[in-house]
Amino acid sequence: MAAPHRPVRRLDHRTLERYENIWLGIAVVLLLLLFASVFSSMISGTFPLLRGTGGGHAGGVTSGRVDPRNLAATPFAKPGLRENADGSLEAFVVARAFNFEPAVLRVPAGRPVTIHVTAADVVHGYYVTGTNINAEILPGHVASFTLTFRRPGEQSVICNEYCGIGHHGMITRVVVDPPTARSRP
Amino acid sequence: MTTPPLRPSVPLVSGPRAEATPDAAFLASLKKVTQYYVVTGFLALLVGILLGPLQALNYAGINVYDYPVLRALLGSYYQGLTLHGVLNALVFTQFFISGWMLYLPVRDLGVRINMRFAWFSYLLMTAGLLTAAVPLLTNNATVLYTFYPPLEGSPLFYIGAGVMVGSSLLVAGQVVLAWWHWKRANPGRVTPLVAFGSVATWLMWSIAALGIVVEVVVLLIPWSLGLTSGVDPLLARTLFWWTGHPIVYFWVLPAYISWYAFLPRQAGGRIASEPLARLAFVLFLIFSVPVGLHHQYADPNISNTWKSIHMLLTFLVAVPSLLTAFSVAASLEDGARARGGRGLVGWIRRLPWGNASFSAQVLAMTSFIFGGAGGVVNASLAFGPVVHNTAWIPGHFHITVGTATTLTFMGVALWFVPHLTGKRLFGPRLASWSVWLWFVGMMLFAVGMHWQGLLGVPRRSQMSATVQNVYREMNLAVPQAITGLSGVILLVGGLLFFWVLFRTLLSKRVQDGEAVPIPYSEAISPAGENLATASLLTRRTEPLLAISVFAFLLVLLVYAPVLGPMIADAQLVPGVRLW
Ligand code: HEM
Ligand SMILES: [Cu+2]
Ligand SMILES: [Cu+2]
Repeated sequence: MAAPHRPVRRLDHRTLERYENIWLGIAVVLLLLLFASVFSSMISGTFPLLRGTGGGHAGGVTSGRVDPRNLAATPFAKPGLRENADGSLEAFVVARAFNFEPAVLRVPAGRPVTIHVTAADVVHGYYVTGTNINAEILPGHVASFTLTFRRPGEQSVICNEYCGIGHHGMITRVVVDPPTARSRP
Repeated sequence: MTTPPLRPSVPLVSGPRAEATPDAAFLASLKKVTQYYVVTGFLALLVGILLGPLQALNYAGINVYDYPVLRALLGSYYQGLTLHGVLNALVFTQFFISGWMLYLPVRDLGVRINMRFAWFSYLLMTAGLLTAAVPLLTNNATVLYTFYPPLEGSPLFYIGAGVMVGSSLLVAGQVVLAWWHWKRANPGRVTPLVAFGSVATWLMWSIAALGIVVEVVVLLIPWSLGLTSGVDPLLARTLFWWTGHPIVYFWVLPAYISWYAFLPRQAGGRIASEPLARLAFVLFLIFSVPVGLHHQYADPNISNTWKSIHMLLTFLVAVPSLLTAFSVAASLEDGARARGGRGLVGWIRRLPWGNASFSAQVLAMTSFIFGGAGGVVNASLAFGPVVHNTAWIPGHFHITVGTATTLTFMGVALWFVPHLTGKRLFGPRLASWSVWLWFVGMMLFAVGMHWQGLLGVPRRSQMSATVQNVYREMNLAVPQAITGLSGVILLVGGLLFFWVLFRTLLSKRVQDGEAVPIPYSEAISPAGENLATASLLTRRTEPLLAISVFAFLLVLLVYAPVLGPMIADAQLVPGVRLW
């Protein structure tokens, strides 16, 4: 297998060690850069998210348990947007093979909305195209995230976790209405 | 030039001091069982990749599933996808690796193993495969290769899969025991590199497989048999990903063994540094397992703190990857310069590109560079949500497992099969064509799928059949065309490869397989033979058992706080069949 060796000077142990050290230096610098960027993203995104203040990252799907056989006893009984007494907005969405309820979610632009999603049967996905809203929806578990839709218009919501034979049809929309008077203080 | 390290009992058949193997009968039967593993694996791959182009057409916006021929064969797109994922990612890899990493260390160490047990493990693994095949082929387990409950497949599927995965642990046991016997018989000796890498990989896999084994045995089998009323989907997913991430290293480490130990010789070069290679394997052993949560960033009810910790641990895997990039590139450069290569990059032209076994593996490594870069994006808590479950993900893993692993195994097979069978490789030029087509096809595939994923196309979706117009608004024409084209190129490349492989296998035996030697390479910086005189790195990496105990403790440390509350809080939900 070996090719014919010509009489050329070949690497020896010592030069190799020098190269190794240079490469180790490069690897350490790369790693430091990686860690630096990870830490800055943690400070700007992850820590606010750990404190529950959002910070623009939708990775912060948080807790909540419900019994999928008894959604009627929970706020998921009436899916859709609601305004709480303190003026905050909450939306409840149920994923069930093969559609989402409400069929279309309407939210006002410019106001933070906390969306809670749960599944009634199997695992589904909740992915809003063009954003980083992307959560796994498990029966018995609630995924919640707070976000603000800035621009009025429509956005698609796709189930992106295989849920059965009708999976590819499990698509809906979020309609973002122009800001109401209340949202412009 | 340094002299190659002396191997203990079985001499280096390929080395300058080649001798006849002491026990020809044992070697012949070891080769036979290995050949069965390898060929079974490739048969699975053949069926698996025949389905791939149909999926690529789907992602080109072309729905072929209404044609009567396909209707008769497949219950649905998703049945085809389940077969594709299971056969390629679970069956092909596991069978090939079991053969490859049983043969090499056992031979390398010169230890006799119990051949009846070796056959028993093979037959058990095959029985598991056949059991799982029944529901898969009859559309009774269309749950994809991740089989997330509470989507509920036939119990035969979980039992078959459990037996198949479980029997890979028997192979792990044979190798680790063989190594242990060798250690006892050769105190103070340094384990030869290939055996070292194999044992490290099997030890890692033994820790990694626990998650899926517990999931299947404790949760899924009783539930699918109707003995329990349900499963907690989050607990099951977490156990699944305990195994599901390190399994990707179980797929690439056997390729690393070839890149480190054999590729240099195929290039006419030498291993840059054996101690460094050992360090890389040990780092993989430690850091492959405690990172599974990075597949669950989008899951509810898992603490963000633990997600972040798994993310940081994930990034540490970059270190052994960079070590490998340096080490293997240096050994190729060594070979190319010995063959008269000059210049900063000009030496690359002097590599033996005409040798399909060599070029397959270097192309596989090349694609892995892009795969690794994409992997850093996936692993990041900030970027993950942008690409999670989009077409980006299959784009990513077809240039890692679909190319880095698969193309390496294909390249390895081009010498390994002649070595095992004594048959001559059929059509070396056709083999070259097949590996280049595979490489080009997968690179295009990756471009098309990553692109579509960024635009918002989900994975695992028969998007070509949807009546909604969401995809018409996405400007997909160019990436769809690229994906469709790549599927056709891959089909041609794949069929060519299998033509070469099966023509080789079906030809007459013309020589003793030993005439095609295992391309063990010499090292510029060898590890030495005796621990007492070996370098610090060699001595520190030798106690693999102690290191794997440490790795296991690390896994417990990062999983106990995650799994504990899940178990305490478990809520069983019933299964459903929705296909
Ligand atoms: C002819 C070559 C191949 C083509 C054209 C191809 C094409 C595809 C496509 C388009 C998908 C995405 C399907 C979807 O998400 O709906 C896919 C999924 C997948 N492929 Fe391949 N593939 C090929 C070879 C391979 C190989 C060699 C492997 C691994 C060894 C592999 C493993 C997988 C896996 C694990 C999935 C995911 C299945 C799932 O999401 O459940 N493929 N393939
Ligand atoms: Cu769904
Ligand atoms: Cu779905």
